[in-house]
Amino acid sequence: MTLIRNEWRLLVLGPTLLLIVLAAIFLGVVNMPPAEVLNVLLGYGSMDASLIIGDIRMPRVLTGVLAGIHFALAGLLLQTITRNPLADPSIMGVSQGATLAVTIFLFLTVYMFNNDPNILYRLPVQWLPLVGCVGGGAAGAGVYFLAFRHGLSPLRVTLCGIAVGAVLHAAAMGVISGWGTARLEIVMQWLSGSLYARSWDHVLFLVPFTLLGLVALPFMTRPIGLLRFEEDVARSFGLAYRRQFSLVLLLACGLAASAAGAVGPLIFVGLVVPHLARFIAGPRTSLIMPMTIILGAGLVTLGDLIGRLVGGPEEIPIGVVTAIGGAPVLLALLRRTVRG
Amino acid sequence: MSLLCQNLSVRYGQRQALTDLSVSIIPGEIVCLIGPNGSGKSTALRSLAGLTRPHAGRVQLDGRPMDQWRRRELAKRLSFLPQAPIAPDELSVEDLARQGRYSHVGLFRNHSPEDAHAVAWALDATGTSSFAQRGLRELSGGERQRAWIAAALAQEAGILLLDEPTSFLDIGHQVEVLELICTLSRERGVTVILAIHDINQAMMVGDRILLLEGGRLRFDGRAQDLAGSGLIESAFNVRGAFVKLGDGTVPHFDIDLRRTPTGQ
Repeated sequence: MTLIRNEWRLLVLGPTLLLIVLAAIFLGVVNMPPAEVLNVLLGYGSMDASLIIGDIRMPRVLTGVLAGIHFALAGLLLQTITRNPLADPSIMGVSQGATLAVTIFLFLTVYMFNNDPNILYRLPVQWLPLVGCVGGGAAGAGVYFLAFRHGLSPLRVTLCGIAVGAVLHAAAMGVISGWGTARLEIVMQWLSGSLYARSWDHVLFLVPFTLLGLVALPFMTRPIGLLRFEEDVARSFGLAYRRQFSLVLLLACGLAASAAGAVGPLIFVGLVVPHLARFIAGPRTSLIMPMTIILGAGLVTLGDLIGRLVGGPEEIPIGVVTAIGGAPVLLALLRRTVRG
Repeated sequence: MSLLCQNLSVRYGQRQALTDLSVSIIPGEIVCLIGPNGSGKSTALRSLAGLTRPHAGRVQLDGRPMDQWRRRELAKRLSFLPQAPIAPDELSVEDLARQGRYSHVGLFRNHSPEDAHAVAWALDATGTSSFAQRGLRELSGGERQRAWIAAALAQEAGILLLDEPTSFLDIGHQVEVLELICTLSRERGVTVILAIHDINQAMMVGDRILLLEGGRLRFDGRAQDLAGSGLIESAFNVRGAFVKLGDGTVPHFDIDLRRTPTGQ
């Protein structure tokens, strides 16, 4: 009975994701008749319509889909191997590292050579994904090596990650607070997590990481299953614990850092989506991973759509929507779990 | 399959957990590790399982030092069950037992009929088949312990290292586990090394007894020889006597419990 219901849920989730993606392409601030959107998708659209759909909405939606998958998977992997239900990409310092790298980069490229704090300069936004990704990856690597020196247990990784993350976050805030007013805007927008003005470049930036993750994961499911045991047991079952733990950490950090670079630190997606996936999957543990992927993509797209439609031209950043929407979901899940 | 350690010393930080332990395990025998709390039983087992890096000395399986074995190859030959292990809650008994097949199935291959057979046998041997589909969370301490033993058995290793496998079990299930160990040893030729607290049970099942005290090996030999040595009394700091309960049986250690008389 429950098994049938769970299969049913997976069958419903896939098409729902498709509907959300389509809705995100068809709906937007610029009111466009569905027939015209359809025309663009079929290749007959007018110049203006093609520009709006092809160069603005579609890359934006796809960036959101990929980033959602990245954050959700990274959260699931980290929660699983650190055996910590509260883990998300920030416990590896990835979000904070990306933030610090982006703030320092903007500071150096913009502020250092321009002394008038009230002029908004053309910002080198095309470099932000790479800079954020490198920053996040470097923070993750730093946490890894700190923890490695102390035996690389899940607890060590968590503690090192929190400590490093706190330092990086404080440093980023220090850089920002020494900043002029007009320039705050772009960094604040990046910080709150945004899909605004995401282009095909962002999609192309993310795709290699996504593909790598989706290709690697099927080969990692068994080791990941064993990483949920304590180290002695896992090794006794035949798992090369340290190597597999490191590989999973590397994958999680790569996914999270690339996504953080492209759309900013979307907090809560990595935390909430795996819990939601576990709840929906129920006893079918093999469904948790696919559900995480679908839910991660769907929730970020939906959140962005809501942010665009509710906020109008000003739009509410996706990070704000996911945090506001995610908190009640987490609390509701907590209640259900405690009762069960 | 030969397992041995030579001049093995293990340190945890400043604390010397094991000093100069040399033991050569004979294939197929049942070895009982006894000793007071903190005497190094668990450390000895973990070292023999290749899970602890020795400070000095070495552990070898089939002539190869432990750190040169790949864990997967090692797991096909040697299986270790720690004291009170923890598993993810939502696993069922059968899921847990199936994890024991990891070293055999690898990353890609699906579970074969051979694997299913090994899991079924492990569940059957530990008397866990009747609740194989139940979650570990729903089990009693004894049932959970037997589920873990099933996982260790499913590995089909020639050497089984068990850290206090009978703790948490009532006397009936203790006897079941001990009988299972004897069957494994006699019928399948499995070498079993177990840490155990009950001295009498150790003397009954053990072909060989190792007594550890303060990280040092105090006795290595047959149960009959331990009886007259006075080592049990000094190591555990108890008074008692070994009594013969019948012909051909091992002596039974009878503890002299100093009990304060009541009502005086």
